[in-house]
Amino acid sequence: MPKHEFTINGETIECSSEKHGRQYEVKVLGRTFTVTPTSPGLFSVLVDGQVHSAAAVVGADGSILVDIKASVLELREPSDEEFAGGAGDHGEEKDKIFAPMPGKIVKLPVKVGDTVEPRQQVVIVEAMKMENPVVAKARGKVKAVHFAVGDQVDTESPIVELELEEDPAKA
Amino acid sequence: MSEKLFNKILIANRSEIAVRIINGCRVLGIGSVAVYSEADINSKHRLVADESVAIGPPPPGESYLDIDKIINAARETGCDAIHPGYGFLAENPDLPERCAQEKITFIGPSAEAMRLMGNKVASRVKMAEVDVPLIPGMTAAATELDVFRKAAEKAGYPVMIKAAAGGGGKGMRVVNGPGELGDAIEAARREAKNAFGDDTVYLEKFIANPRHIEFQVLADQHGNCIHLFERECSIQRRHQKIIEETPSVALDAKLRARMGAAAVNVARAADYTNAGTVEFLLDRDGNFYFLEMNTRLQVEHPITELVTGTDLVVEQIRIAAGKPLSDGLKNLTQRGHAIECRLYAEDGDNNFMPSTGTIRHYSEPTGPGIRVDSGIMAGMEITIDYDPIMAKLIVHAPDRQTAITKMVGALESYRILGVKTSRKFMVEALCHPEFRAGRTYTSFIDDNMSERAEQDDDGLSREMAAAVAAVLSMTTVRGSVTGAGPSEASPTPWQVMGSWQIGDSINA
Repeated sequence: MPKHEFTINGETIECSSEKHGRQYEVKVLGRTFTVTPTSPGLFSVLVDGQVHSAAAVVGADGSILVDIKASVLELREPSDEEFAGGAGDHGEEKDKIFAPMPGKIVKLPVKVGDTVEPRQQVVIVEAMKMENPVVAKARGKVKAVHFAVGDQVDTESPIVELELEEDPAKA
Repeated sequence: MSEKLFNKILIANRSEIAVRIINGCRVLGIGSVAVYSEADINSKHRLVADESVAIGPPPPGESYLDIDKIINAARETGCDAIHPGYGFLAENPDLPERCAQEKITFIGPSAEAMRLMGNKVASRVKMAEVDVPLIPGMTAAATELDVFRKAAEKAGYPVMIKAAAGGGGKGMRVVNGPGELGDAIEAARREAKNAFGDDTVYLEKFIANPRHIEFQVLADQHGNCIHLFERECSIQRRHQKIIEETPSVALDAKLRARMGAAAVNVARAADYTNAGTVEFLLDRDGNFYFLEMNTRLQVEHPITELVTGTDLVVEQIRIAAGKPLSDGLKNLTQRGHAIECRLYAEDGDNNFMPSTGTIRHYSEPTGPGIRVDSGIMAGMEITIDYDPIMAKLIVHAPDRQTAITKMVGALESYRILGVKTSRKFMVEALCHPEFRAGRTYTSFIDDNMSERAEQDDDGLSREMAAAVAAVLSMTTVRGSVTGAGPSEASPTPWQVMGSWQIGDSINA
């Protein structure tokens, strides 16, 4: 019975599957899913007596993208970790603020020494004719500001660096 | 079979609206010519047109906005008409003027009507003359802070700074008190200059929690002018519409008739021809005010088409060809309820940051009363060069609640992988009790969607995704991780089938 392991949002999920003709019975954490590929990239899923449909493809960086109920989930197999993180994927870095896409800085309301709160606007980058505010994801103190208003930025160079506050509530 | 209205029409646009217009040409048996920049070399609109002409590098200024290139492309291919779509040159009076000089028919209003209504300040002045209710505020543009200050005091805070040259949320700022006025004007000017090339701004009283109701109008070149009822466009984010519907729950027959008549008055006052939209704000007390007129076909036109049973692109082409309004447009009524959701390339779960990438999987929802106007296909690359709209999903149902349910189902079966969208956000908005109840004001998103709970259906979606991923990894060849070739977006049957034998299989 083939076994699989995936990480999704940092969580690891194991499953085992069994093929029956065109269908696959996949057991995930005690639930059984009957998955049937219907056409390229499309799957029908039966679980708890209900039918759902999903689309899935292999993404640019080797991850698996699954479209289910208007959401897209990204899964990686453990061997994929080395391929993870394409250009501009800075989702986990809370101490560095990047532009979401190449553009021009039109507002930079913080300076070294300021304390920022989660969701506080740290920079506004103009791209695609709209102003895109970028917010801090955690509480911290601004320890470096590498650009100024009017500068063109890409998605790779951090604009602002924070010294994150240690959260005593976190394990 | 009636004679062709035009020989060939050049569509001076791209993506979903270009595809939509090509569709209209096809219905009328008219040849279609697409134009494309280097970024759109593999685009759907280029593919579906009868002919296509390359018009330069990606930046709009060097391609879609370049009137000379557009005109040359039309002449090269023998086009006798040009349709501008929306955005780009659609409200640029230079285009109809050039068309007139070149003896090419422009499918839209005259340059004069465009100029008048395209200038938000000038149109306010004109409407005041013909007794259409206006939002209190400035009736002339200004640059001195003092003029704005006085106007703000007269209208009473809160006030709104708006760009004279365009809309779509660009160049707009709300000001709650005199202290914020200077900064707001500055920011609005900056944005307006960038979006429209014109930093003229003016000031109006800010109407709190209004509904945004617009009326579709059609006017031919024989003096006939009608309205095709309203569209409710109150679900907006940063002043960009994302969900629109018709009819509006806020209008009863009497109010609808009054607003419709006002819309027709506006169009007549502007000597308007072809398709246009008159926008109103409806306040909580049932008063409506003229906001602006859009001198083009709008993004959300399909909802009007579905409830009235009309084809606005076809009507536009007919009007431009000098025909009177079709008989089918007499005695129109609204039948059922239609909703549109716009699919933008943006991350609905991450502050709507623009999203780029290659579309690795694309499948549209289908079924009775489900319509998709799409500019994308699997394998296409979405870049940062243009407005991020990719497609529109529209549903039609006998009543509003059924339409909402149908739209949620359609959003959940619309599969787009490779680029992020805000489908989940729209599902949440549609399922929200305030939306279901019809309490849709322009503040809807701020009021109801700012705190979005991490919806966990007790892990079901995650587990389901893992199950599907397991099957995918067993049935496809996970080859190179680079390159967006067709094998990634759409595995071949050989890849999907897995191992197989000729003849009877011994192990089941």
